[in-house]
Amino acid sequence: MPRVFFREALSRAIAEEMEREPRLFLLGQDIAGHGGSYAETRGLFERFGPARVRNTPVAEAMTVGFAAGAAAAGLRAMAFITYLDFLMLGLDALVNYAAKLRFKSAGQLTAPMVVKATAGAKGQGPTHAQCIESWLMNVAGLTVLAPSTAGDAYGLLKSALRAPGPVVFIDHKKLFPYGGIVPEQEELIPIGTAAVRRVGRHLTLVAHSYMSVLALEAATQLAVSGIEAEVIDLRSLWPIDWDSLTISARHTGHLLVVEEGQVVCGVGAELAFGLRERVPELRVARLGARRMPVAASPALEAYAIPDVQAIVCAAQALLTRR
Amino acid sequence: MAAAVGPSSHEPADYVERLRRLKSMLLLRSFEAALLRQPKPGFQLLSRGEEAVAVGICAALQRIDPLLCSGRSIAAALARGMAAGPLLAELIGKDGGPNRGRAGRAHLSMPSIGFFGAHGVVGGNLSVAAGVAFAQQQLATGAVACCLFGDGACGAGALHETLNIASLWRLPLVLICSNNGYSVSTPVHQGLAPPRLTDLAAPFGIPAACIDGADVDAVAALTAQFVARTRAGLGPCFLELQCARLASHSNLTREQRGSVELDRLLERDPLLLYQRQLRGEGILDDELWAQMRGEVDAEITAAERFAETAPWPEAEQALLDA
Repeated sequence: MPRVFFREALSRAIAEEMEREPRLFLLGQDIAGHGGSYAETRGLFERFGPARVRNTPVAEAMTVGFAAGAAAAGLRAMAFITYLDFLMLGLDALVNYAAKLRFKSAGQLTAPMVVKATAGAKGQGPTHAQCIESWLMNVAGLTVLAPSTAGDAYGLLKSALRAPGPVVFIDHKKLFPYGGIVPEQEELIPIGTAAVRRVGRHLTLVAHSYMSVLALEAATQLAVSGIEAEVIDLRSLWPIDWDSLTISARHTGHLLVVEEGQVVCGVGAELAFGLRERVPELRVARLGARRMPVAASPALEAYAIPDVQAIVCAAQALLTRR
Repeated sequence: MAAAVGPSSHEPADYVERLRRLKSMLLLRSFEAALLRQPKPGFQLLSRGEEAVAVGICAALQRIDPLLCSGRSIAAALARGMAAGPLLAELIGKDGGPNRGRAGRAHLSMPSIGFFGAHGVVGGNLSVAAGVAFAQQQLATGAVACCLFGDGACGAGALHETLNIASLWRLPLVLICSNNGYSVSTPVHQGLAPPRLTDLAAPFGIPAACIDGADVDAVAALTAQFVARTRAGLGPCFLELQCARLASHSNLTREQRGSVELDRLLERDPLLLYQRQLRGEGILDDELWAQMRGEVDAEITAAERFAETAPWPEAEQALLDA
């Protein structure tokens, strides 16, 4: 099977879905001739033309509302928001309109749309770095996806582009340089399924997006000292694959949740509580960003966000805690 | 006042149509009065004084044209043809309405009759309407999207972003501002720097006009002219309809205007003005007026009975769309 870059997996998924669904159109900043900020839409403008691949002005609020309206009126929209931080400008349309549309119209209207945004800290400072996935998980009616591999990005984005309601698809700056395996034949990954990346028996390490990469590295280091961590990549933040997580948590009895967002009301808080309800004897710990803005300085960025060493330490602490 | 907007095939309305408009305005007025008589009327934004806006606009739209509006939606929904009984049920939270009691006046919708929906967030429907217009363009439906909003929305960035994209992409979008002079308690001149609302459209090269929104025939004629222009592919346009809000902002909002001002506003009551006009032209007499009132009263009584007997919504059913 061919190895492709994360960004190539995205553009292939989009191209296949645009072939399949003539009503699908793309809108966002710099996605046409420029090919996207991370070259993730390269070639799509040339292939599908200006009617379906549309550059927008710097107007995220309009972009998300426009996508929602177009989707509600019979099209299928994929909106590109350069940084997840900028999705804050579009939250009204996403949260108050798109996510509630099926409910508030009593099923008369839906908004089949995907908003793709790039999260994560990579030296760009306080407002080009945030991981606000947990905010979005709090919104009834939203599906939230955050894959970590090229193959998952491909299969999940295809599912997202066929979903009946609004989906936020989150990628990560540090994942773009990674290559991965993408199936030659068309393949979809169902929304709401986590992936077990590594099997282990001492603790369950749960992460998503780029933190899944670090969690796997941490598991390799832990193995040296005899600790076998099971690594689960969430892929889908909402809906949550409670079944897979519960099986693993029951098996290991220890859960460490790692995220790049802040721990207060974070992904880990929800997972830890939900799994304790299902596995009452489970011992839990969570790790995430410190409660401070991400700084422009690499030294301060590293201080704010967990790294492999922090995950290893948190895992050891969880297992030795009495 | 009115800017040049190109040729129009609109014929002056005949007396049958004009009597229909009078009756429609009377229905709107009587309906809102009946709503306030409900034991628990809820939180309602009324259109008393703005009936000519809703009736005039809807007289100019075709059935395929999606109409979007603000949370001041009751008149627009009725004028678009929503039945009074289901509407009353919806407004008091019963299951007999088009949105099964979930939407209320703020999110009312019934796309099958061309009422694409209200949005309770001020300015929230503007970019959504641009997307709805785009869908008409892409799908070549021949329809024109129309968005009705208040003067309060003109201070929001949403209008700027929407005017910009509508002009850039020549969207089939008719933007209509019902300027009732106040955003809750704030007079227009305190909330907007440009002396005229139509000035907002000028930098985008969007044709705009301002007329008396209490004159239902003028509203219908000008809207028809603008809609025809937009339907012909000439791009978006902007109408300002100046009217008087005869009630306070909502049924729960304190009235800050004094009795002198309110008495003066009564002179701009569109229902009274139109009735007087049709009498003067010999189209309406006492007998016809009494007959019209009787028919409207019967419709309201039937609506009240419908709403009273409608069931309350089932939570399990509502959850299916959440």
